[in-house]
Amino acid sequence: MAGAVIDLTEPRRQSPLAIVLLGLRAVRSLGIVQITLALFFIVRGAADGRLVLVGLVVVAGFAGISLLSWWRYTFQLVDGELVVTKGVFRTDRLTVGVGRIQSIAIEQELLHRLTGLVKVVVDTAGSAQAEFTIDAVERSVAEELRRRATVAGATTATMVTSDETTTNGAVATTERIVFQHTPGRLAVAALTMSPWAGIALLVPLIAVADQVLEPFGEQLSDVAPDVDVDSFGWWIVPAAVVAATVFVTLLNLGRIFLADWQLTLRTDDDTLRRTSGLLSLTSTTSSVDRMQVLTSRQNPLQHRVGLRDVQLSNAGAGDMRLIGCSDGEFATAATLVGLAPLGELPLDRRIHPAEVWLDVRNTALLAAVAAGAGSLLVGSWALAAFVVVPAVWWATRRRVRNSRWSLGPEFATSSRVISSSTRQAVLRKTNAVRVTQTIFERRRGLATVEMVTAAGIVTVGMVPIEDANAVRDVILHVVETDGRAWM
Amino acid sequence: MADPFSNEPIRVDHLPQLHAAAFVSVDPRYVWGRLAGLAATTVVVIAVVVVIIVQSDDVVAPVAVGGGIVLVLVLAAVVSILESRRLAYQLREHDVSLRGGVIEHRVETIPFSRIQHVSVGRGLIERWLGLATLEVSSAGPDISVPGLSVADADRIKQVVAERAGVADVADVADVADAPDEGPPGESQVAMPLSPPPWPAP
Repeated sequence: MAGAVIDLTEPRRQSPLAIVLLGLRAVRSLGIVQITLALFFIVRGAADGRLVLVGLVVVAGFAGISLLSWWRYTFQLVDGELVVTKGVFRTDRLTVGVGRIQSIAIEQELLHRLTGLVKVVVDTAGSAQAEFTIDAVERSVAEELRRRATVAGATTATMVTSDETTTNGAVATTERIVFQHTPGRLAVAALTMSPWAGIALLVPLIAVADQVLEPFGEQLSDVAPDVDVDSFGWWIVPAAVVAATVFVTLLNLGRIFLADWQLTLRTDDDTLRRTSGLLSLTSTTSSVDRMQVLTSRQNPLQHRVGLRDVQLSNAGAGDMRLIGCSDGEFATAATLVGLAPLGELPLDRRIHPAEVWLDVRNTALLAAVAAGAGSLLVGSWALAAFVVVPAVWWATRRRVRNSRWSLGPEFATSSRVISSSTRQAVLRKTNAVRVTQTIFERRRGLATVEMVTAAGIVTVGMVPIEDANAVRDVILHVVETDGRAWM
Repeated sequence: MADPFSNEPIRVDHLPQLHAAAFVSVDPRYVWGRLAGLAATTVVVIAVVVVIIVQSDDVVAPVAVGGGIVLVLVLAAVVSILESRRLAYQLREHDVSLRGGVIEHRVETIPFSRIQHVSVGRGLIERWLGLATLEVSSAGPDISVPGLSVADADRIKQVVAERAGVADVADVADVADAPDEGPPGESQVAMPLSPPPWPAP
């Protein structure tokens, strides 16, 4: 059943909830450490009445500016352009052609979920960050905005014509689910990825720990008197490592559940939409044509369970991270963005083994410098710096042996040391091609070729200069003769 | 009417190649601009060293540090000369390429169809030398072609803008009324741009 028609041609304000969100953002901009310390001083009674008064004035100021920011922020769709007017002390008017919008992400943080509203993040090409954000708006308005952008983008990009149109003249689309991760899959994905990723959760705490704990230092030393470290055996080190690993693994599990709960990829063939989140829902949409580079990574644990992490890189800020994908899901995602599944890529070209000598030589030189400098401090122990040389030799040799690349309708590379990674991009999405030669490469007739897209670079180094030039000529030939949309 | 379908094999060695001989070097005056900048820095460093020596009794430390900095600047001058000699560009029917780099040789090509905008800028030293820099921007990388005569920079900008189908961005300085263009004929001698390698529109 069709919903009520939403008129976006008139200037619209955000929901009043945006006042709260704008205020919170302004407060956050002061810095977590500063706010924590201020609160700490007030709670500890270290502040006198005047400081409290200053605090109240600051809060009132933030509230006033938030209210004005909300009042002055309007958005509307005029003649195929999204026009945003904002600014308290000066008026900024941003105009973005709807067809140029790279992605529209609809997110729901905790406050949004309580009120049934959503946040809209609009991104265009040309900057690494989102162009602007509508902090709180009804979901129906956000969906309408996204629908308009998607239709305009798909139509602009691919010149799709369809008899199946709605009363607005827009192409009617039917979205289907490509895959959805179950909690079990997410748990496996979290347990098989690097457990240390969970440390990311602790970063804000680590940042403020020094300042917050400093006043408690003396009290803590009273509570925990001097510990006799001699009473611990050798086992304390591995036990601590195991305990820390278990701890960060659990943190990572929590992080994944919070961020990727019910991770779902949907498509209507022209667009991709990724949704996920437990407390904060995130929804990112991008047209298929605007996806530029596909990257996948797989560590040995993931290899055992047949999962891999996949990233679809968009020309703007609409990247899609798809963790814990099976080979089938990865192949489907690749096919959706016009790339060949991994198994179908020839990946038959190797890189020159001189790379091993280069890395070992450079490492040995650095180790010699470090050993020379370190010998002044620790004497002959500084020679330990050379331990890294055989490690680099082993890792580089393994990487060179397992590096492959191929050039067909797409440029693809793969490599593996312990974890394996692949990177693919369709040739027609190239923005520039670079061929570079270091002195080392020049002496051996080798070169590095880089295919630069709007969302990243696919690089292969240590290939014969003739091959590098041929790759460049093929890519340029495809780009300059293929008139299809590239973004 | 539908286009006749063909699917003939394409040999890589039959594709248009980026010939090294077709690169056009930048104006020789460009190197003087680079050296002038380094010379100005050297003068400032020497002046600071002299002031420090006059203000303090210590001579060895300021001279050693200043001498080290000047040595680095001399090396930078050598690299600048070599880099200026290597800096060259190539315009083809469908793309623009820039060659550069001394320690690392680099050739970068941007197809016209990927260019977002093109502009010409002129810094203080460039205005003095009658040169300009062509800035070509894409959704991916940008390339700058410095050391072009003002007239050539403007011509290339017009051609690139037309072929890329983009509007050229307003220049930093209006090249049309640039008062410090080199002597008549010098530009044509230094920049062998005529006749252009593309057919007239």
